[in-house]
Amino acid sequence: MKETWQVIFSGVGGQGLMLAGKLLGDAATGYEGKYAVMTSAYGVESRGTFAKSDCLISSSEIDYPEVLKPDVVIALAAVAYKKYAPLLAKGTVLLYDDSIEPLPSYAEQICLPLAKIAKEAGNPLGINLVSLGVLVQQTGIVQELSVINAIKDEFAGREKQIMLNLQSFQAGIRAKQI
Amino acid sequence: MTLKKNIFAMGNEAITEGALAAGARFYAGYPITPSSEIAERSSIRLPQLGGMFVQMEDEIGSIAAVIGASAAGVKSYTATSGPGFSLMQENLGVAVMGEIPCVIVNVQRSGPSTGLATKPAQGDVMQAKWGTHGDHGIIALSPSSVQECYDLTIRAFNLAELYRTPVILLADEIIGHMREGYCPHLPKEIIERKKPLCANRDYKPYDFCGEENEIAPLAAFGSEYITRINGSGHDESGNACGRLDNADKFIRHYHEKFQKNRDDIIETKSFDLQDAEYAIITFGCSVRSGKAALKLARQKGIKVGLLQLVTIWPFPYEQVAKICEQVQGVVVPEMNLGQIQGEIRKVCPTHCSLWGINRVDSQMITPYEILAKLEEAAI
Repeated sequence: MKETWQVIFSGVGGQGLMLAGKLLGDAATGYEGKYAVMTSAYGVESRGTFAKSDCLISSSEIDYPEVLKPDVVIALAAVAYKKYAPLLAKGTVLLYDDSIEPLPSYAEQICLPLAKIAKEAGNPLGINLVSLGVLVQQTGIVQELSVINAIKDEFAGREKQIMLNLQSFQAGIRAKQI
Repeated sequence: MTLKKNIFAMGNEAITEGALAAGARFYAGYPITPSSEIAERSSIRLPQLGGMFVQMEDEIGSIAAVIGASAAGVKSYTATSGPGFSLMQENLGVAVMGEIPCVIVNVQRSGPSTGLATKPAQGDVMQAKWGTHGDHGIIALSPSSVQECYDLTIRAFNLAELYRTPVILLADEIIGHMREGYCPHLPKEIIERKKPLCANRDYKPYDFCGEENEIAPLAAFGSEYITRINGSGHDESGNACGRLDNADKFIRHYHEKFQKNRDDIIETKSFDLQDAEYAIITFGCSVRSGKAALKLARQKGIKVGLLQLVTIWPFPYEQVAKICEQVQGVVVPEMNLGQIQGEIRKVCPTHCSLWGINRVDSQMITPYEILAKLEEAAI
């Protein structure tokens, strides 16, 4: 098992990139006894410009809190994809939405209809949770159940939100089998 | 909600929980990035605990309200960032002069002025000490993890109450906004301010001579005692006093009450320093870069250790001097242009080289930048 995973959720503000990172970190620390750190970067605008969250999940203590060598970069908007595709090296997986025009990259690219899957799962805003589902399914970075628990904690007392987010997450888990 | 041992939370959330655990029940502030989560969480949590949250008109009013609430006997705090901290400086002096316990959280961002509102920096080190005019001491603590955000906020309140002083929690955007697992354990110690036991007619709120730690008891406004807070030079009773010997006595007191208690106030953490030939000395978010660099350098056979300055003010000169004496060179990574390095230089002997690694482009210093300097030095 890999000791430390480095993941970037990127896109534009408002897509729930921080939430995706938070749920992943909570699943790891709260339910699997692992170490997790999440840092973020965004502009002064409340939504619509480049934003990202850096997540590190490890079986040992994490010193540096930003991603230096990503294992996976998830790009949910063109601005983020264009930023990362030319920068990434071999050994990184770049997962992006099929609405984005592809570019050459040294990364291993996976293109999925993430927005479409989110819409079909009943929550067009759930693209972040769909991508988290794909990440968990593809990497085993944390257990599916840990994320389900983290979602239930995050939206405690808000049944509709729990249901919508679980649907999005589980649609992501199934995505590669579609 | 499931019961979890570790909560995956932001530094700013842990700061708020630390304040509440320390017994703080009053917050007045004006939200500003990257400290706003402290205001947000305080606005929810304080009323749940019978406390009070006030969103003020600006930061000048915020610290004034905090001073007033503390003078009335309630542990009080505010949170801000550079621009707000600048506005607070005048009234910070009032808290110094009136010896009013309070905690001011400054989650540092890129400056000067409005700067880069969402981006980190560590540029307010000197401002925390000298931002308000006149000779005085201050206490400033700097967390480097979410757990330390919680623990050091509790410590900040304890020090504020024990030494009757404003305490600055000098966090930064990286640590304030970073999420990490932390445990909001019950505090090992909660210090309450010393209250007068004398007859009310005999009470002098600034009569520190002969008191333990040279700190006078503090009665609450509205109690049976009369407490005067006076920004002008004042005597033991708080009455305005222009006597030269009185000014000398009190201005020295605002400085010496920290110097005499350095051993209690100052906290540093050492990592792998026993056999170190080189040392990284740093604070706040840059500790994270330093610790990662330390491991990389040790893998390459360079004997490096790290001294984390948890207390920034009063500056840990003795602890720093001891390390500088031991090693051949010291690397000081900081997200400013050398504010901590300047203090280290004061006690660094000539045989010890001193290098700064400074970034002000709002990007965190990477471990590789520190490693490169260490490799260059070790050749």
